[in-house]
Amino acid sequence: MWNKTKSLQLSLLLVKVLFVFVPLLMTCVPVIAEWYDAVYGEGVGFLDGSVYWPLSITLYLAAICAMVCLYALHKLLGNIKKDEVFTPTNCKCLRIISWCCILAAIPFGLLGIWRFLSFIVALAAAFFGLILRVLKNVFEKAVELKEENDFTI
Amino acid sequence: MPIIVNLDVMMAKRKISSGDLAKKIDITPANLSILKTGKAKAIRFSTLEKLCEVLQCQPGDILEWRDEEEV
Repeated sequence: MWNKTKSLQLSLLLVKVLFVFVPLLMTCVPVIAEWYDAVYGEGVGFLDGSVYWPLSITLYLAAICAMVCLYALHKLLGNIKKDEVFTPTNCKCLRIISWCCILAAIPFGLLGIWRFLSFIVALAAAFFGLILRVLKNVFEKAVELKEENDFTI
Repeated sequence: MPIIVNLDVMMAKRKISSGDLAKKIDITPANLSILKTGKAKAIRFSTLEKLCEVLQCQPGDILEWRDEEEV
């Protein structure tokens, strides 16, 4: 029977799988960039030419952000598992994830100079970061309310 | 906070221990400690009512307002 514990365990498992998958993907960045350059060599952008280096750097930076995000997610899920949901630590985790998304949007935005299509990825990442930021604000308010409730005797 | 909780004074006057009081007003000793040390952010009317009933006093005997500068 599916329940909350199993759902949490699945989330933790997915995070752990990605913890392994992202570094593996990082090792394949040159291959991915080379493949992209060969297949989509003629893209539309302000600048023409090969995107091998810009794409490689973008993917590396995005992977670093992803790793930081995964660490924060792991910590967040671990706290939720311990029934510590509305805590300042979790707010910090959400803030880290939000900033990672926004930071990851920057290299993708810069990649847009070579390929306009990359702007869409940058916008999506930035928008996701914004949503998480709002969620973090909600969490902060919830922490405040919980503290008030806990200290009401 | 300018609201001072004088619960320990009242408890000493009535010669009642924290454990006994916690049991009589049906709250945990940890929560009573929060109340006594002034860490509490609010007090429920029901708790205040029980405290007054057990300690045979008025809310003013337990809670006191002092000017912030004085505190």
